[in-house]
Amino acid sequence: MKSVIPMDETYAQRIWRLFKRDRFAFIGFCIVIVFFIVAALAPFLANDHAIVRVADGSVSFPVFRSLEPIEWRFLLYVPLAGLVYGFRGPLFLRVGRGLWIVAGVVLLIEFALFFHHSFNDVTNDRTLPAAFKLMPPIVYSPIETSPDQLVPPSWKHPCGTDSTGRDVAARLLHGARTSLAIGFISQSIALLVGVSVGGMAGYYRRWVDIVTCRFIEVMECFPTLLLILVVVSLCDAANNMIIIMVVIGLTGWTGVARLVRGEFLRLVGQPFPQAAQALGAGDLRIIVRHLLPNSLGPILVTATFGVASAILIESSLSFLGFGMQAPTPSWGDLLSEARKYIDFAWWLAFFPGAAILITIMSYNFVGEGLRDAVDPRLRVK
Amino acid sequence: MTTYLLRRLLLVIPTLFGITLLTFLLIRLAPGNAAMLKGGSGPNGGHAVTAEAREQTIKLYGLDENPFVAYGKWVGNLARLNFGQSFVDHRPVIDKIRERIGLSVSLAGTALVLSYVIAVPLGILAALRRGQPVDRAISVTVFFLYSIPVFVAALVLILFVAGGDYLNLLPMYGANSINASEMSWPAWVWDRIQHMILPVICLTYGSLASISRYSRASMLEVLGQDFLRTARAKGLSERRVIFVQALRNALIPIVTVFAMELPALIGGTIIIEYIFTLPGMGQLVFQSIEARDQFVIMGVVTISAVITLLGYLFADIVYVLVDPRIRYE
Repeated sequence: MKSVIPMDETYAQRIWRLFKRDRFAFIGFCIVIVFFIVAALAPFLANDHAIVRVADGSVSFPVFRSLEPIEWRFLLYVPLAGLVYGFRGPLFLRVGRGLWIVAGVVLLIEFALFFHHSFNDVTNDRTLPAAFKLMPPIVYSPIETSPDQLVPPSWKHPCGTDSTGRDVAARLLHGARTSLAIGFISQSIALLVGVSVGGMAGYYRRWVDIVTCRFIEVMECFPTLLLILVVVSLCDAANNMIIIMVVIGLTGWTGVARLVRGEFLRLVGQPFPQAAQALGAGDLRIIVRHLLPNSLGPILVTATFGVASAILIESSLSFLGFGMQAPTPSWGDLLSEARKYIDFAWWLAFFPGAAILITIMSYNFVGEGLRDAVDPRLRVK
Repeated sequence: MTTYLLRRLLLVIPTLFGITLLTFLLIRLAPGNAAMLKGGSGPNGGHAVTAEAREQTIKLYGLDENPFVAYGKWVGNLARLNFGQSFVDHRPVIDKIRERIGLSVSLAGTALVLSYVIAVPLGILAALRRGQPVDRAISVTVFFLYSIPVFVAALVLILFVAGGDYLNLLPMYGANSINASEMSWPAWVWDRIQHMILPVICLTYGSLASISRYSRASMLEVLGQDFLRTARAKGLSERRVIFVQALRNALIPIVTVFAMELPALIGGTIIIEYIFTLPGMGQLVFQSIEARDQFVIMGVVTISAVITLLGYLFADIVYVLVDPRIRYE
C-alpha cells in the first residue's frame, strides 16, 4: 500500500484524497461533470441539424450555423476553464498576468459574440438527402413541434413527446444548460456579494460588523422563494435569464457572508495577518492574499450547496410559471407542463423530475463530501 | 438574564424596521407599478384603463406620493395593524390575509411538528449507533429525501396515490371535497384530513435531514460529557442514563432549531398550495401578484418575515430560559 506522508501533500491534494474516499460524494462529482459535458455539448447531442453534412460535393457543418450566443458561451467557456486549470502553473506564476490573460480571452469571446448573429435555420437535415451526414444521437431539436403529440417513450423518442409533439429527451438535454447556467452564475453573484460583505464585516469589525449582521438578519427573515417570486414578477422578469440569475444571487449571499465573517474574525487574530501588516501590506492585500485563501475550503462547501439550491429555486420558479418559459427548455418548465397531463403522461413528469433530483442530489453529496474533507472535526470516526 | 432578554427584545426593533423598509423598497419601487397594470388583460392588451381612471387610481392609493412620505404612512398604519386596502376588491388587506392564514399555518405547523416527531428519534438513534450501518443508513436516507424538490415529490405522489393510473386513495386537489358544506362535522373533518395528507407529507420530508442531523450532533455532544459518567457511576441503569439524563439535555438545542426551518417551510407551503390548489396564503400571493395588488403583496411578505423573526426570537428566549447553564450578563 502506498503510504502518504502528510507534509508532502498540498492542501488541495489532501482535500481531494479525503474527498475521493467518500463514495457517494465521488459518484456525485462524476455526475456533475457528466451533466456539464452534456450541457456544453447539448446542440451536438440533440438537434435537427446535422453535425457534418456532405452534399453536392461540399462539406458543411449545419449545427454551428444555428448556435446561439449562450451555446457558443458554453462551448467556449467550459474548455477555457479546463485550459486555465491545466495551465494554472505557468499562467498564475504571477497572478496579475494570469488574470489579465484570462480577462483578455473572455473579452475577446464576448466581443466576437456581440457581433455574431445567430442564424435561424429552419431546414431539417433529418429528411434532407446527402451523400454523407452525421446526425446527433437525438435527431430532434428542442423547439421543433410535430404531429406526434404525447407519445410514450419509444425507440424513436426515448423520453416520449409533449403536448405539442416536441421531443422530451431533446428538451431535457438542452434544459440542462438553463439549469446549470442559472445555478452557477447566480451562485457566483452570491459568492461575490457574500465574500465582500462578510469579509468587510469580519475584517473591519466595529460598526461595519454591526450593520452587516443586522442586515443579514433582516435578509434571513424573508422566505427566499417568496421574495424572488415577488421581485421577478414585479420586474416583469419572467423569461429574462439575467434578471433571474441576479435576483437569485442577491437573495442567496447571506450564508456565505456569515461564514466568511466568522472565518475572518478567527483568522485576523492569528499571527500571519499581523505579520503581513507589519511588512506593510494594505487591507486589500491582506484580505485577498492572506485571509481569503485560508477560508477557501468552507467557502467552497457553501458554494456547492448554494449551486444546488439555486438550481432548485430556478426550477421552482419555472414550475410556478415565473422562470424560464417555453420555448426555452428548462427542467422546471417541463415539469409544470407535465402537471397538466399527470393523469396519463407519466413520462412528462418522470424524466425532468429525475434530472432535477439527480442534479440536486449530486451537488448535495459533493457538498457533504467536501465538508467532511475540509473540516476534519465534523468527520464521523 | 433580564438584561439579556431586554436587549434581545430591543434588537427586534432595527430588524423590524429593516424588514418593512426592504419590503417597501422592493415592491413600491419595482418597475411594474400597480396603476400601470390595473387594467389587467383587457381587450387592448392591458391598456383598457383610460388615462383618467389611471389618474384616479394613482390618487386614490397615493402612488404619486414622495416615497419617504408613503413609507412613513405605510409603517404608521402597520403599527395599528392596518395593512392598507386591496386594489382588487377594496377590502382591508388584513381581512384577506386573516381568511387565508389559518390553512397555511396549520399546514406548516402540522408539518413542522410531524418532522420533529420523526426526525428527533432518528437522530438520537443515529447518535447511539454512531458509525454503524444504522447511522449511515439514516443519514443517507434523510439526505436523499432532502434532495427531492418538493414539486417533484408532489407530482410523483399525485401520480401514484391520488388518481392517475395507479392507486386512487386520496384526493388530488383542494382543501375539501365539493360537497363539503353538506357534510356533518365529523365527516367534514375526515374529508379535510384526507385532503391534507399529501400536502403535509410533501412539507415534512424535507426538514427531516436538518432536524435529525441536529439531534444527532446534540446527542453526541451530550454523550461525551462527564455527568453521564457520574450517572453511570451512581449505578443508574443504561436506559435511565440515556433516556432521562442524556436525552433531556440533548433536546434543549434541538427545540430551538425550528426557527431556521421557517423560511424554507413558508416557501414550501407556497409551492404546495399551488400544486394542490389550496386556498391559503400562497394562493393569495399568486392572485395578488397577477393583479399587482401592491398592499396585499406587501402585507404577505411582511407577515411571513415577521413570523420568521418571531420564530428566531422565541427560539433565543426559550434557549436561555430552558438551559440554566447559559448565563448572559
